[in-house]
Amino acid sequence: MLYSTFKLGNTFVGVPITSILEIPRSSVFHSVRGAPPVIDGLINLRGKIITVINLGLAFGLEKVEASEESRIYIFKNDSEFKEVADSDQELKLSEDNIGLHVERIAGVISVEEKELQPIPKNMVHPYYESVVRKDDDFIIILKLSKILNLEQDSGEFHE
Amino acid sequence: MSDIEEIRFNVYNPVVTYEHRAAYDEIMSNLQEISPICNQGKCKALEVTDDPQKQKQINDLMEQVEFFSKSLSGTTKMFFDQLYRAKENSAESISDSTAHIKIEMIERNLLERTCDVRWWALEKAFYECISLANESTAAANADKAKEAGDKPARKRGNSSALDSAVTFACRRLEDIRKSYTLYRDLVIVSLDGKVIANSNEERRSEILGLDVSQEDWFRGALNTKDGTDYYVQDVTSSSLENVDSLIYSTALRKDGNEQGEVIGAMGILFDFQGESEIILNDYLPLDEDGYVQDGYLSFFTNSEGIVISSSDENFIARGVRADIPRANSYLADGGDTKISIGIVCGKSSVIVSKRSEGFDEYRGLGWISHLVLPYSSMFQRSDSSLDSDISTQELVNSNLIPEKNKLTYQEIERKKKEIQLISINGIVLATDLGNAGKSFMPIFDQITHTGDSVRGRMESLLSEMSSDMLVQNFKALENFSKQAVDLIDRNLFERAADVRWWSTDHAFWEALQNPSEENLDQASKRLGIINASYTMYRDLVIADSGGSIVATSKAENKDRLQRINVSEHSWFRQGKQISDSVDFAVQDVCDSELENEKTSLIYCGGILENGERKGASKGVLGIFFDWENIALPILDGCLPRLANNVVEGGAAFYVNDQSMVIASTDVENFPVGSKFDGGGENVTLEPGDTASGLFTQNGRRYILGSSKTKGYREYGGLGWTAHVVRAIV
Repeated sequence: MLYSTFKLGNTFVGVPITSILEIPRSSVFHSVRGAPPVIDGLINLRGKIITVINLGLAFGLEKVEASEESRIYIFKNDSEFKEVADSDQELKLSEDNIGLHVERIAGVISVEEKELQPIPKNMVHPYYESVVRKDDDFIIILKLSKILNLEQDSGEFHE
Repeated sequence: MSDIEEIRFNVYNPVVTYEHRAAYDEIMSNLQEISPICNQGKCKALEVTDDPQKQKQINDLMEQVEFFSKSLSGTTKMFFDQLYRAKENSAESISDSTAHIKIEMIERNLLERTCDVRWWALEKAFYECISLANESTAAANADKAKEAGDKPARKRGNSSALDSAVTFACRRLEDIRKSYTLYRDLVIVSLDGKVIANSNEERRSEILGLDVSQEDWFRGALNTKDGTDYYVQDVTSSSLENVDSLIYSTALRKDGNEQGEVIGAMGILFDFQGESEIILNDYLPLDEDGYVQDGYLSFFTNSEGIVISSSDENFIARGVRADIPRANSYLADGGDTKISIGIVCGKSSVIVSKRSEGFDEYRGLGWISHLVLPYSSMFQRSDSSLDSDISTQELVNSNLIPEKNKLTYQEIERKKKEIQLISINGIVLATDLGNAGKSFMPIFDQITHTGDSVRGRMESLLSEMSSDMLVQNFKALENFSKQAVDLIDRNLFERAADVRWWSTDHAFWEALQNPSEENLDQASKRLGIINASYTMYRDLVIADSGGSIVATSKAENKDRLQRINVSEHSWFRQGKQISDSVDFAVQDVCDSELENEKTSLIYCGGILENGERKGASKGVLGIFFDWENIALPILDGCLPRLANNVVEGGAAFYVNDQSMVIASTDVENFPVGSKFDGGGENVTLEPGDTASGLFTQNGRRYILGSSKTKGYREYGGLGWTAHVVRAIV
């Protein structure tokens, strides 16, 4: 299965390619007053209104600032995902399309099912799903069901 | 990038190295593969899906990829062109400044020669001797006219007076030559063109009595308008020497009066060959055995394009026209420069020619300094490995890399990212098509791979270029620092010569041995005349053996100086020890009460009893060098420049042997009096060594070139080092 990887600070993190709807070239968003701080704002993608989460703030780290390199991953909503995905994939996304503002795209990797390792016990994090080793790098696969639905859990994982 | 430049360095240009051509070919063939791949992708889209919206999305992506890969080939061409242009610019600017250094070195030297001859012509021993010689000639002519039979008894007495005057004049000329070692000979000539006295004992028997009345330098001297005027005869043959001579001359005038009647001439024969050999061989790269590398030549031509001195006479012969492009032989007055590419001695070369601007009041003789280097050397990779003190990233971001090249690189980086993004979106689309989409995967893989490899190649080219730039900058700064230290040493060599010679002046020892008001006034007057002839002294003073100032070149300083006793001053204490006229002493740059605590550099010589060459000290002559006004313009001329503007954060300064800054073009960051400890090995150099490196000052990163004095001729220097620096951020 293919994963798209990107940077979270010095860590490589990945999401399944199948979960992505699109990565638009422009990453202009409109901030919304009163929205939780982790929400960068809204973008309009071909008429769809999409909420954008700041990956850095979601992890309680430094905010991802909009730059030439930063990108917004737009994820499929649950129904879009079900339409296209191979039936064997069990992935829960969100009811709405959600965007994730990341610092920098790293690339695309192909991962065999058996390469996915559980997160070591002492490193457990609500947004971590599993870990993959590629050459000298470890890539954390994100638990999209959590990170994309964080408005329901907000407060629980934030300082 | 909107400004479209003509591509000068494409891969077919022979200067492009094999490695670069290979890299270019690889990038281009990668990019050329993209088009067929995209066509393949468009066809596949029709095969794998019936959904017209999906087909269009795939089509759009493919077109975007094609667009970016085409534009990336254009940018790549530009990048290579800029890479070579940057190398060319930087090599040209170094060569240009080297040619300039050489001509300036010689012109500064010659300015001193014009000062010398005018000053020496006022010497009593010379005009008295020539007066006697002229009288004797006149008497002989009168006798001849009267008839041969009548033996003139009175001529005997006159003749012995003349003999002793000649002996004394020869002695004084020898004194000069001992103080100023730059001369092969000095002569004084009677009105009818006969050499009466000379300085070079070895050649005396051949020279005395020689008729030079037809030589230009002699006629020119007789035509000078007053004591401030001089004549110079460009390098040419003279009956005085077997080698070509460069002769400065002026008239000897009645009673040494600047406006007086012309009674003869003085000619000084500068060691042009010796001096130009030093200058021409400097700044040329040496091979392992210490010989100048093949293809590097340096020579001077005169205003007619004839070679007057050459670093290698096997290739560029003296006395004939140099085989260089015509445009390089005829340059306009006022420091005109010409850089050409052509064949010199069978080698494709760069020829950099710089016409003299003269120096200060000296207008020069229209000489041109030429520097020849192999054309290929401009584009050679620098072989020295990169200094570990600086990372590639810091270097690439530094201002050593021209802004244009950085922008082009960023453009490549941006395009690469666009391609990457398109590719990921393509993979997303293909994945959505399930199994059918799998056939798209290799296409997007290939596209991603191409983007990455192009960028990787460019990145290594940029880092290669950065390290080349760093090495070239190091070299340029080293050259500048060497120039700075050479120029000041040459200047101080002259000061050391001046003070030794002046200390022997009869007015000074007479005043000290018989300090009547009249004699002291006479001494002050002499000091005043000296100071008026030379531009580099603030004042000249005479201290008696008790350390009281008894004479000064500036009447306005008299009252103030008379109240100061200098017996505890370093220059005076050293000067008091001198008992030989070839010795001098110096007080390194420091604040002195003599000059209202201004920074002073004081040279001194011993005034010896009866003006003997060796003898008891009667007092000390101190000369106050106009330190800042001489040092700062030299440093200023050695600052790193781009297109005639000093580079941002460029500075030059001298430090003494304690690493204390003694003159600085940037008193904010490198203040006078502060200790300079940047640059590791650059502060602990051996005499004559140069070094380069990096340091941080006031939180700013700099690169620097440093050069420690090796002295000049017999002047040993004061252990100073010149540092020329450039901020890189």
